[in-house]
Amino acid sequence: MRINSINQQQNKQNFKANPATWIAKTVAKYPMIPVGLAGSSVIAQKIVMSGSEAVVGPVMDVGIGEVITKVTKEEDGRTRESSKVQAIRTFSQSTGGTIVGVIIRMICIGAATALCMKAGQKTGGTIADIVNKNNEMVKEGTYIYKKNMETWGKNIGGVVATLVMLGTNFIIDAPFINWINKKATDIIDNKISKNKKDGVETKEKEVK
Amino acid sequence: MAFNPPKFVHKLLESCSPNPAKAGKTLLVINALGMVFAALSNTYAAAVDKNTSAQDKKFLVPAGFVTGAANIGLYYAMTTKIIDALQGKVIYNEDGTIKSAKDGLADKVLDYMSKNNDKDGKNLLQVAQEKFVAREIKKAGKVKKSIFGAETVFNENYVDTVKSTLKNSDGSVSDKAKDLFKSSFKSGFGVAGAFIGAVVGCAILTPIIRDISAYFVQKRLEKNNPEMKEKPYKPYFEPTRIESVRYNRRPLTLKGYMAFTNKGNLKI
Repeated sequence: MRINSINQQQNKQNFKANPATWIAKTVAKYPMIPVGLAGSSVIAQKIVMSGSEAVVGPVMDVGIGEVITKVTKEEDGRTRESSKVQAIRTFSQSTGGTIVGVIIRMICIGAATALCMKAGQKTGGTIADIVNKNNEMVKEGTYIYKKNMETWGKNIGGVVATLVMLGTNFIIDAPFINWINKKATDIIDNKISKNKKDGVETKEKEVK
Repeated sequence: MAFNPPKFVHKLLESCSPNPAKAGKTLLVINALGMVFAALSNTYAAAVDKNTSAQDKKFLVPAGFVTGAANIGLYYAMTTKIIDALQGKVIYNEDGTIKSAKDGLADKVLDYMSKNNDKDGKNLLQVAQEKFVAREIKKAGKVKKSIFGAETVFNENYVDTVKSTLKNSDGSVSDKAKDLFKSSFKSGFGVAGAFIGAVVGCAILTPIIRDISAYFVQKRLEKNNPEMKEKPYKPYFEPTRIESVRYNRRPLTLKGYMAFTNKGNLKI
């Protein structure tokens, strides 16, 4: 008993010393979060990825432009200026790309899941040979079959969506992103013109 | 007739197969595939652009390849490391036996859960497993029994089937459910790793590599075409410049689109 308790104490001390343990402790309180994440598809990945890019990307662009301008001691500041243009484009691309990308992924994954679910039930079909080789419905029951077919659908649908998007990028994304870019640039231009105007007015007042 | 795909498709299908230990890696592979397509079309754009001289193309095309390869390579390597650190890494022999296994954060959390109790004195792992079973049964109740009037395989008995798979006859959590919980839990860590990699890669790594390479490409172009540099440079956000330059509206053609993607990065 005593040895056990000493061991436990040592364990606790080890746990305290290790930052991974602090994370382990925190995650252990919410075990359903990783379980929920396990079912994520490329849709969630796209939202997380592009959503963060829409926020961080423009800041990064401007920051890098600033760094390059300072390091190379550029006098006309053309890198700084073009980095601002790139920042707006990054924002437009990630916003437009996310909206179109998510819709296309949803359609492809939905279709692929339905197809796998349906085709997997037949034995000996071309698709059934791939997705339901071990005939899980009979061996493991409908529950495991459903889980597996959903995963197949998510993954194959994700790959198909990537291929489909090579085409839709031309038809949908490009004009849509240009439109967002124009709107975003308009808003920023208006703000800058307004600020400049205000600045001029206040200067005039000061002179008077 | 059995479908006999080429090796590449076979590999891709293999990484698409439902293996919880690979969930994070599958997301990584699909994302990297999209990035490869994007990088290829960006480089292709530089190669077919008629406005660029042959001399510049000799520089631009390899530069496009190198930038793309560096970006994707770094993203892939980094994300693999993150996934392995979170989920743990198991290497199998050819005969399916375990060659080596390295614990990740997920194993540490599971270990911590199995050794500790909650406030009511119940084992943390057991509580989590029960929650998992309850969640799966609840989800089973919501499955569509028919789609567009056609009956699916999920008939009235489906909830009972799920219950019998996940619970023993005395109502306790079955071994199958314990396995499923563990694999889902670990796979969730892998997916989280893929997300972290995608966010860091896309929001931090890509802009750094793109902007720095764009700077060198620009400098090189200016060096070869001195007239570019001598032109007085007007800042973009100058009201006099905006009207003339910004609305460069041309009908959308393949070449036009390629030139457009070359300015930024094609997103897939």
